[in-house]
Amino acid sequence: MKRQAKLSVALITAMLLIGCQGGSQAPVVATDTGGSAAGDFGPPQGEPIKAVLTSPPNVPPPTNRTAPAKVIVELEVREVEKEISEGVKYTFWTFGGTVPGSFIRVRQGDTVEFHLKNHPDSKMPHNIDLHAVTGPGGGATSSFTAPGHQSQFTFKALNAGLYIYHCATAPVGMHVANGMYGLILVEPPEGLRKVDREYYVVQGDFYTVGKYREKGVQPFDMQKAIDEHATYVLFNGSEGAMLGDNALKAKVGETVRLYVGNGGPNLSSSFHVIGEIFDRVYTEGGTRYQENVQTTMVPAGGSAMVEFRMEVPGTSILVDHALFRAFNKGALGMIKTEGPDNKAVYSGKEVDSVYLGDKAVSATPVAEAATASASGALTLKQQIGAGAALYNGTCSVCHQANGEGLPAVFPPLAKSDYLKADSNRAISAVLNGLSGPVKVNGKDFNSVMPPMSQLNDDEVAHILTYVLNSWGNPGGQVSAAQVAKVRGTTARPKGAAN
Amino acid sequence: MRPAVLVLGLLVAAAQGSGYQRVPGGEYRSVLKYEDLKGSRAVAAFELMTQPVTNGEFLKFVRTHREWQRGRALPLYAEPSAYLSHWQTPTALGPVTSARQPVTRVSWFAATAYCEAQGARLPTWSEWEYVAAADETHRDARQDPAWRERILAWYARSAGAGLGVVGSTPPNVYGIQDLHGLVWEWTDDYSAMLVSADNRSQSEADRARFCGAGALAVDDRENYPVMMRVALLSSLRGADSTSSLGFRCARSIR
Amino acid sequence: MKSVSRWSRPALWFCGLLTAATTALAAQPPLPGDSVLQLPGVFVDQASRRFTLATRRGQPQLISMFYANCQSVCPLLIETSTAVVNTLEPAQRSRLRVLLVSLDPARDTPAALAQVVRDHRLDTTRWTLARTEPAVVRRLAAVLDIRYRQLEGGEFNHTSVLILLDGQGRMLARTEQLGARPDPQFVAAIRGALQQGK
Repeated sequence: MKRQAKLSVALITAMLLIGCQGGSQAPVVATDTGGSAAGDFGPPQGEPIKAVLTSPPNVPPPTNRTAPAKVIVELEVREVEKEISEGVKYTFWTFGGTVPGSFIRVRQGDTVEFHLKNHPDSKMPHNIDLHAVTGPGGGATSSFTAPGHQSQFTFKALNAGLYIYHCATAPVGMHVANGMYGLILVEPPEGLRKVDREYYVVQGDFYTVGKYREKGVQPFDMQKAIDEHATYVLFNGSEGAMLGDNALKAKVGETVRLYVGNGGPNLSSSFHVIGEIFDRVYTEGGTRYQENVQTTMVPAGGSAMVEFRMEVPGTSILVDHALFRAFNKGALGMIKTEGPDNKAVYSGKEVDSVYLGDKAVSATPVAEAATASASGALTLKQQIGAGAALYNGTCSVCHQANGEGLPAVFPPLAKSDYLKADSNRAISAVLNGLSGPVKVNGKDFNSVMPPMSQLNDDEVAHILTYVLNSWGNPGGQVSAAQVAKVRGTTARPKGAAN
Repeated sequence: MRPAVLVLGLLVAAAQGSGYQRVPGGEYRSVLKYEDLKGSRAVAAFELMTQPVTNGEFLKFVRTHREWQRGRALPLYAEPSAYLSHWQTPTALGPVTSARQPVTRVSWFAATAYCEAQGARLPTWSEWEYVAAADETHRDARQDPAWRERILAWYARSAGAGLGVVGSTPPNVYGIQDLHGLVWEWTDDYSAMLVSADNRSQSEADRARFCGAGALAVDDRENYPVMMRVALLSSLRGADSTSSLGFRCARSIR
Repeated sequence: MKSVSRWSRPALWFCGLLTAATTALAAQPPLPGDSVLQLPGVFVDQASRRFTLATRRGQPQLISMFYANCQSVCPLLIETSTAVVNTLEPAQRSRLRVLLVSLDPARDTPAALAQVVRDHRLDTTRWTLARTEPAVVRRLAAVLDIRYRQLEGGEFNHTSVLILLDGQGRMLARTEQLGARPDPQFVAAIRGALQQGK
């Protein structure tokens, strides 16, 4: 009997083991592109091709190639003085005259003959490090170019992906901070899937001696750069680069791909498009994509490709979701989509007038007021017009477009006894903020209004004049001189602009 | 011939602002990390021009040394497309170019020849760095943020903003002017700036490329003004010139 | 700091450049404007013979700069030059000369140069090792774009380049690829220059 028992146990055990084995599946192996080792498709075929380079926000067309080619890229470095923000000038060092520099598009396996030219008027020598290059310095050691000279080197693009390129001449941080970066796309051999629109967006942080929006020619501030205290965080090198008339365009039903880069030099980006979800994100500009992403990280010196489909008309806002960079340092861009409404998907109105920073509305009345003010002929009507434009998007966010505020949260400005009583106090509220208990029109409020001292004296004067002349308020006028006086005699809270 | 002599005389008088100034010797820490020399470097006393050489002075030189005129200077010594290309003719400045501006678009060979004709030479990098570390009141102002900001502000101005005239910056504590804020300047040993073209490998010596153990790296990574000078000099060859590059002469003291 | 008296002689030679050149070469057509051989200066070789660069016109040659006390790369420079020469066919080999100029004239006397010749068993019908005045050293290096710096201990930090000159002294090709395997593009340039009898 013992022997039989042993046998039974052995049999049962064996069956159990076989049962366990029989239930297991073959392991799933992810297919891999093979990296650089598999990226050499052999010598270039056909005639050499001169690369089509484009300025932001445009992208060259797909290569539509099926075999490796020799591609000749000619890129010129120019030092140019341009506006970084309205009335603020900065000397940028650029690849191809723009920040970011020209977009380069090749296919994996292409042999790229790279010509880097440095304009004779440049003060500095420059070179280039393309993250798509496998080789010392990414090309930097072979492309060091004095003003008035050009260098040439050749590389094979062994890895597909979206890569940053940038200058690597000492001091590197300064060259990059001055705008010397761009993107090179190495298409996978089968190409990327077709989309209706492709755009080129690169975020960068900028450091100036003067404060944010302080007018004039601003030099680079080395200490701020070392301390990573950015003055501006911008898409495509200037505050208005993709706002207003420069907004990117799309139509309802179209698919859009954004080639997003981050030149740095210091800050990483939390890239988000308000009103859109990314159907696909090729994280870090690589080969595989994630789906259904709201906000994606783009590291400094890195990239991402995002794709989405425009379902409804309206304006979508590109931001760095580190929000103070969007609203206080300029990290804002726009896509304007036209086409038929789709109420089933979104029933609301245009996003512009409520959500956005002050640049969404046309700045014409503001410009008119500025000109008139300069010639000493500013009228009340002009102030009100300018004030309306400035109010929408800055103040209207909390106090609403109709001045009603939000019950128990944000005080009304309409028929406000608080404003009527003391205009200097009103100016102080705008410049220095207001917190703690206040009573307006018989109702109690206890909120925090942040200081708006980044607005200059003219802007504050126009806004308050507009408010005093709207929504049943008694009328009146506030002058820039009056604002200046309050600015000078009151203390700004810690951290506020001047 | 007479009017030409008169013009020359006027030019000489106009250029009279610059003379040689004795710079006392001393020790200083270079921004460059010399592997072969730790700590401070010693600079012997020498004489240095108080201002860079001007268009007027160089014009006088090429009139008496015709082999250095534009069009005659050998391509080996001065790249023909760039050399003195801002002068109206090889022997006249023209209305747009001022005799009081520092001469630019001159090659190292041309600068060396000018100095030798005076019985002088170009300063060495060490001499230049030593004198340039000073501001109006200190021998070594390199840690002063204001000193750096002033210099960086010059870099921020694009070359199109126009070239100033010599003598427009206050003399430093040694009595030397215009070392910053006007033009880059040649040194005798510009080719000894053996730093890697790729700034990221600054702390490593490229031993295969630069024979010899004495690597040169940048030590003070915050001293952007000097780093940029080194970068510029290391990118040039002897026959090169740029629109922002000039020179001044030095003399050894026996 | 070791001081090299570069400026001990009044250097007026640039001023007399044109005159000197034309006098020396009165019988021959002038060298082209970008010829390295135009550089004035007196050179002294390993056998104490004096010559000027202009006298070396007529045949393509390799030129570089080195110094005799070099421990690391310079032996490699000589090995590379030898390897390059040896890849040529005997007929071409016999026509290619090599000139190595010292960066360290203070210590590289003709005797020191002769020692290098013996150590490497160089064929002096084709190889010339020479020294010249410090000011000329700096100028030759500038013309050839060879960068160097003298170190505290007397050694030199320098780039190592082999340059091919044509018969008129114009720079045709250069290589920084050192070692026993010669740079194929550089060798091709040499063959081309010798074939054309430049």
